Amino acid sequence: MEGKEEDVRVGANKFPERQPIGTSAQSDKDYKEPPPAPLFEPGELASWSFWRAGIAEFIATFLFLYITVLTVMGVKRSPNMCASVGIQGIAWAFGGMIFALVYCTAGISGGHINPAVTFGLFLARKLSLTRAVYYIVMQCLGAICGAGVVKGFQPKQYQALGGGANTIAHGYTKGSGLGAEIIGTFVLVYTVFSATDAKRNARDSHVPILAPLPIGFAVFLVHLATIPITGTGINPARSLGAAIIFNKDNAWDDHWVFWVGPFIGAALAALYHVIVIRAIPFKSRS
Amino acid sequence: MAKDVEAVPGEGFQTRDYQDPPPAPFIDGAELKKWSFYRAVIAEFVATLLFLYITVLTVIGYKIQSDTDAGGVDCGGVGILGIAWAFGGMIFILVYCTAGISGGHINPAVTFGLFLARKVSLPRALLYIIAQCLGAICGVGFVKAFQSSYYTRYGGGANSLADGYSTGTGLAAEIIGTFVLVYTVFSATDPKRSARDSHVPVLAPLPIGFAVFMVHLATIPITGTGINPARSFGAAVIYNKSKPWDDHWIFWVGPFIGAAIAAFYHQFVLRASGSKSLGSFRSAANV
Repeated sequence: MEGKEEDVRVGANKFPERQPIGTSAQSDKDYKEPPPAPLFEPGELASWSFWRAGIAEFIATFLFLYITVLTVMGVKRSPNMCASVGIQGIAWAFGGMIFALVYCTAGISGGHINPAVTFGLFLARKLSLTRAVYYIVMQCLGAICGAGVVKGFQPKQYQALGGGANTIAHGYTKGSGLGAEIIGTFVLVYTVFSATDAKRNARDSHVPILAPLPIGFAVFLVHLATIPITGTGINPARSLGAAIIFNKDNAWDDHWVFWVGPFIGAALAALYHVIVIRAIPFKSRS
Repeated sequence: MAKDVEAVPGEGFQTRDYQDPPPAPFIDGAELKKWSFYRAVIAEFVATLLFLYITVLTVIGYKIQSDTDAGGVDCGGVGILGIAWAFGGMIFILVYCTAGISGGHINPAVTFGLFLARKVSLPRALLYIIAQCLGAICGVGFVKAFQSSYYTRYGGGANSLADGYSTGTGLAAEIIGTFVLVYTVFSATDPKRSARDSHVPVLAPLPIGFAVFMVHLATIPITGTGINPARSFGAAVIYNKSKPWDDHWIFWVGPFIGAAIAAFYHQFVLRASGSKSLGSFRSAANV
């Protein structure tokens, strides 16, 4: 669709298409879109890197839940908010931990640490179905173990203080909670798509450490905004891990919100990025 | 024509290691026919929607959790610092996501400043501003939809002058605050800096986000910090009380003046583009 006029005159082709501020124009496509991942790829099951990637997701999600739920417990058991790291500290725990863990596992598994991110990338044809399912299972298992360790540290207090489980707060409807989860996950998954975009990587001389930073910030910001509503899920594994270990009615009553919302948000983000921003289906097949 | 002159190897130009893009045409008919133009407008709309949704939701959430008369607790919520982080951090990730699509303005004052500096055409600037305002209205609309009674009770996240500050003070705070932001935008996107500093473009959003964060730290007590007319407009429209509307002009006049001053400062003082254009006339005469 974007046919560029051929013009070999020196300098005349310097600015064929006006670029956004500050960026130098490119006369040729300087990136390669990776081909869509096959739905099933039996060959990858025989590769150690496949199994290693799942293990990395397990360990990352385990550490994520351990740090974050332990931070939540610390705030809850404190005599008052002023004596603890507070709600902002909780948000930093979630966002900062995602930043650190995505940085560590980006080259191994893609650093998802979140079934919604895995689902969004699967919809965008960036990984196979077998890999997506495997990642989601490992993320959920890691989350359960992470929350389990926190409970192991303080069993009675864990149960008395809500176990870090996600529930919809008083004063909010289930629809509000669902909406908050959808938009929150959209922000996160859209940031993931932007950070990992092939076009951006080629143009920006991509510095790997910097991709996790906006992703971590996205998690931090969504937590700032939606902790009062749902305690912020936007990560079905995180919600599942806490719900299983806490195992009370009020955690399970609302639990569907924390799967349906994130998956819808991830799908919307995938749709927006692939269809609107990158217009991939409308590119000519070369 | 000036470009043809520059293309010829001459004594004065050989040492320059960067290329300034030519001024954007006032009205560029060609760009109106391209999908990338409309995609940029859509990106600005979505980015401003998400910006207002997250930030106003953070403001309302903080007020709910710290309202000790209604179930809140002392030091509850994310604090004023958390609100400043919400604004600054959100600008960081949204500029990061949309820099390659639309330039990542998310702010009519930034668009206006860049328009004055001839970096965007008039139709693009106008459509960006319209998309930003519509996105802001939708973003705050989501916040109200999720918590209608809380939203109304806690001020709707709207900007207005705090007690004890005069109109002039609020206006000055908005002017200087927007100057900080737009000046940072100009510095972060300067092609000269890109060439000289081996500039990694992904880093541009970070100082811009931090500029927003810092200004919010300073001026939240005065005006709740506008420095973004779309942000103020979106909250005012959805909240729709007389107090925000009474002061609303401050949040357009202030940011636009601040952006204009920043554009002038960067283009004419720091980059001295005026004298350079005179120089190019002299070169043309010689040829």
